[in-house]
Amino acid sequence: MNCEDYWNDLTGPEPEVDFEAHLAACPACTARYAAGRPVAANLRLLAADMKRVTAPPRVEARLLRAYRERYGQPVPPARELHRWWAAAAAVLLAAGALWTGARSPERPRVASNSPVAIAAVDEQDAAFVPLPNAAGSPQDDDVDLVRVELPRSAVTALGIPATDDSDSASVEAEVLVGPDGMARAVRFLN
Amino acid sequence: MKPPESDHQLFERLRAGQEQAFLALYQKRQPALYRFALQMSGSASVAEDITQDVFMALVRDECGYDPSRGSLAAYLFGIARKLLLRQYERRRSDVPVDTGGGEAGFAELVDDADPLADLTTRERVEALRRAVASLPRRYREVVVLCDLEEVDYAEAAVALGCPIGTVRSRLHRARSMLAVKLRDERHGGASVPAWKAARCAI
Repeated sequence: MNCEDYWNDLTGPEPEVDFEAHLAACPACTARYAAGRPVAANLRLLAADMKRVTAPPRVEARLLRAYRERYGQPVPPARELHRWWAAAAAVLLAAGALWTGARSPERPRVASNSPVAIAAVDEQDAAFVPLPNAAGSPQDDDVDLVRVELPRSAVTALGIPATDDSDSASVEAEVLVGPDGMARAVRFLN
Repeated sequence: MKPPESDHQLFERLRAGQEQAFLALYQKRQPALYRFALQMSGSASVAEDITQDVFMALVRDECGYDPSRGSLAAYLFGIARKLLLRQYERRRSDVPVDTGGGEAGFAELVDDADPLADLTTRERVEALRRAVASLPRRYREVVVLCDLEEVDYAEAAVALGCPIGTVRSRLHRARSMLAVKLRDERHGGASVPAWKAARCAI
């Protein structure tokens, strides 16, 4: 038996037990094992950095469409319907202000060409944008997420250009609606 | 306060046509799956497709999930991994593999000093990102699952279709390989083998 067999998990029916026993008796493998420890600590930094990376919202929108095609469109209860319209109206009113008054600052510079690093920066764009009329609203956790679909013509009329990558007649947005029925924040999905 | 629903409960409800259960399961599980696919493919568009396909299998009830064989999370990682393998076969575009630091006879370190000790946090993260991306696939996947996504060894074993001991030994080996790669990068070239794999009488 040599050291590589232990590292390659070729030591028999109880490789973990054998590996631990070997480490206790082999200074060279103990040193090799120890070399990985600071790496494990550093990997926690990378893990923390990656935590904000998630799939783009359009994936959820596509899956939801597929789910509804399979299982049928749910009928929203009256209360939800009321909020849907409230949210849609709030989006229409706020969208123009968002575009003209709350233009996002210059995109952060990406230090790396790695798609992983670029994805981490891109995900910041998927965050909810607070609506101007929600500035004085109380911060509460009891908010509903309402998905709305707006005619593209209504959005473009407010000064938001249609994107090149979409040929649909509407745009989807998600709106956070507070318990008072007022929209707090919005994000556009496409 | 009501305890959060388990994955299995959400899975049963989504199969009964309850959309909220599907959304809850998606929002709970997609971030780690997307990051796994992103780290393994190096491509945001591939990661997006893989994430979508994994959950589409759930929507279409094509996944054949059996709770007695492991957690739903492990099963979803397993589907993602199989889809990624199909991508590799189709495109032959795996992230470049540095075989010099690979399977056999790679240079070892004699000390356990942190090879990134004098770098800023951002520099450390970028150096690690490059080093992880250059690992051979089977070592990269255990590092991404166990060290980056904090999947436990038992779940990783289900996802990878191998014994727990193999997960553990690959992880030890992957960390050693990363230590070598990081040190090499810092010192601008291949490290001098200060320790060679030796025959051992034990």
